[in-house]
Amino acid sequence: MVDHPPLNKISRRTALALPLGLAASSGTIFSNGFAKADEPVRGGTMVMIVQPEPSTLAHYAVTAGNIPPIATQIYEGLVTYDWDQNPQPNLATSWETAPDGKSITFKLREGVVFHNGKRFTSADVQFSFMEILKKYHPFAPLLLAELTGVDTPDEKTAVLLLANPAPYLMKALAGRDLPIMCKSVFEGTQILQNPSANKPIGTGPFKFGQWDRGQFVRLDRNDKYWKPGLPYLDHIIARFIPDAATRSAALETGEAHFAGYSAVNYADLARMKTNPILDTTMKGYEMTPALSVLELNAKHPPLDKKEVRQAIAYAIDRKVILRDVMYGYGKPATGPLSSLFKTVGFYTDDVRKYDVPDRLDIANKLLDGAGLPRGANGMRFGMHLEVNSFGEQWLRQAEYLKQALAIVGIDLTLRSEDTATWLRRVYTDYDYDINEPFLSQGVDPVYGLNKQYLTSQIRKGVTFVNDSFYANPEFDGILNEAMREQDHDKRAVLYKKAQQILAEDCPLVWLIDVQYVSVFNRKLRDHTTGPLGTQQAFERAWLET
Amino acid sequence: MRLARYMGYRLVTALPMIFGIIVLNFLLIHLAPGDAASVLAGESGAATPEYMDALRHKFGLDQSLGMQFLTYVSNMAHFNLGYSYRNDADVSSLIFERLGPTSLLMLTAFGTAVALGIILGLVAATGRNSWRDNIISLISLVAYATPGFWLGLMMIVIFSIGLGWLPTSGFDTVGAGHEGWAEVWDVARHLVMPAVSLALFYLALYARLMRASVLEQTGMDYVTTARAKGQTERRIMTGHVLRNALLPIVTIAGVQAGNLIGGSIVVETVFGWPGIGTLAFNALQSRDLNLLLAIFFMSACLIVIINLAVDVIYVMLDPRMEI
Repeated sequence: MVDHPPLNKISRRTALALPLGLAASSGTIFSNGFAKADEPVRGGTMVMIVQPEPSTLAHYAVTAGNIPPIATQIYEGLVTYDWDQNPQPNLATSWETAPDGKSITFKLREGVVFHNGKRFTSADVQFSFMEILKKYHPFAPLLLAELTGVDTPDEKTAVLLLANPAPYLMKALAGRDLPIMCKSVFEGTQILQNPSANKPIGTGPFKFGQWDRGQFVRLDRNDKYWKPGLPYLDHIIARFIPDAATRSAALETGEAHFAGYSAVNYADLARMKTNPILDTTMKGYEMTPALSVLELNAKHPPLDKKEVRQAIAYAIDRKVILRDVMYGYGKPATGPLSSLFKTVGFYTDDVRKYDVPDRLDIANKLLDGAGLPRGANGMRFGMHLEVNSFGEQWLRQAEYLKQALAIVGIDLTLRSEDTATWLRRVYTDYDYDINEPFLSQGVDPVYGLNKQYLTSQIRKGVTFVNDSFYANPEFDGILNEAMREQDHDKRAVLYKKAQQILAEDCPLVWLIDVQYVSVFNRKLRDHTTGPLGTQQAFERAWLET
Repeated sequence: MRLARYMGYRLVTALPMIFGIIVLNFLLIHLAPGDAASVLAGESGAATPEYMDALRHKFGLDQSLGMQFLTYVSNMAHFNLGYSYRNDADVSSLIFERLGPTSLLMLTAFGTAVALGIILGLVAATGRNSWRDNIISLISLVAYATPGFWLGLMMIVIFSIGLGWLPTSGFDTVGAGHEGWAEVWDVARHLVMPAVSLALFYLALYARLMRASVLEQTGMDYVTTARAKGQTERRIMTGHVLRNALLPIVTIAGVQAGNLIGGSIVVETVFGWPGIGTLAFNALQSRDLNLLLAIFFMSACLIVIINLAVDVIYVMLDPRMEI
């Protein structure tokens, strides 16, 4: 155990060097690098930290980020994804999109049974999509807008019928986004009141065991799992520890084996790395792009002026935020799309650049030009900044922003409120000037861009949509075209154009391309086997004895 | 018999007060901006107006305030604490699941604080200005000034990470499946640090209070009289001073028993203790109104009962008091 390099270094290097698809079978790849202790061991209980405790496990109706780490062990999707984000067989063994793009035919796997003993058939796919996901999934209006029906010519064939081509749909068919539920569990019941909300029944490698509220969820090995020999672990326990310092301590003492996302404070990561039993990895977040941004309320002058918004974008040194707030994890954002979209060819940095050496001069010139001279105290105008309520790092960021904007003469007042009040003020009352949210971008630009910038997404009372009142008919046209375009390269061209327009109009200020980090115990092996990371099953994970 | 009648009378007169508390809580909670639907949607990162409307309808938030109040009061009248839509569970089951761990933590911490506080105060007072008085006074001063959460974190660093003696957090070893005495021992090991960090502040308070109270009583005429009658110092202390000196402790402890729920929020959070404190905090954060109201209601009842208990203890300590 001592004489080989840390697991994540191997896995990172190997994955980069490997051609398509091979990485999916990472279990066997790792064994090339190690002389001993590399055969997966059956048994054991893995403890992962999930933060905060989910309110429900009704994965099909609530999409809070703390649900998938548990729910995707239980619910599976039609496909899964390899490291290059190409769909791979899962509950579906093959699929074919019709030439006109208006239907996708899935051949389903034989011999799959749900945890309640019922056989998995095309009827389950139909029921899941039409009666549950289409009606109750919060993302359905984005992802399933074009879905008109599901045909089931036989038990092992399901055909998704679409009103228009929806190329992004093939990116969202993993268990995390569109899980498949058992028809017999839900049929004839009120979907949202179904008792399986907190006792989920799926086809996945682990079965729901017990939920001790305030403490943990226990998942048990599914002995009848359709992948022979898997999973290796007997149990997965998701523990809930509210205090960040205690979460770190639980990892340091070996009480917990894995913590993904922001379960461990960035500030603690340096210390974690010095602990011989722990290691960290940044893999497993390739399909979870997110940006931290500033939303500017264009209804509040002078933020209605493009020059003022651009000046704010120039005034901020993203490298300082990266270093002092994010502890070096992440990248300065260059535009409205996360650079993670580079893998699939949608990202471009060929846009107006705000991180330039003479950015402060440009900012001052823009503000002078907008007719906003400095007053006696050196300030041009004052604004409120709504501090993101989801953690202390956002307050640190706000404190930096106050200093950075003061340099160009913008006097920022910070306003901290609890989550409910903050969301109400920003998204319902629109009573804000500048807001600092954190925006997930989903698996396709359709998800991240459409809800944030389309004119039709200016919807009072709805959280995390277009609350900066950006309205540009030309841009709307490009986005709507890109959504239905089947040719991948043509889509890429359209999205490049869209990014250039946005960077010029600057409705938002893009700060950091967020990079999540997982901390894990070195005894835990093969935990991160695909781009969905924690949000896919730990079916191959095993514990060294 | 008189005592039983008195207790019955007190409980009946408490009813209007509890009703008042219910009304006040309901109104205060509704003054806070934001609702459960927007928090839930906010955590999801996306939602449509239809989804939000469906949520609000499900939660009953689309009804008028008056209507919501009537529903709530009628539920309460039927001993139905309501449904927590956010948690997809009955409020009563959520609370009862947490009641055990919280009671265990509170009773241990409170019992330790009162018992040790009284003993230390007594020891300090009887040896006024001696080395043991100085040490006890110094320790209680430090303990009084140390925040519970900081103490908790320091204990985790020392006893969990450093020495590996105690588990960092939780109620018992998850998934260990202990039974019988093994389970008791397991829970006890998990209980040590949260109980100590919760108890220490109160312990310091009671020790200081007890010391002052004993010193005050020993200067009284009745002590001089007892001495003149030739009673031993030990007899004077246990037979006369102690009873009288305990009265202020009982008063303060009674008031503070109610505070323990509030104080336990921080300690429960630090140690991941599955108690009412964190439940209340999460309910407030997510505007889970049914749950929050039920916890308030329960605390109100608890305080009424504790006050009653304090009055009864008074009578037992000092028979001159009338009920």
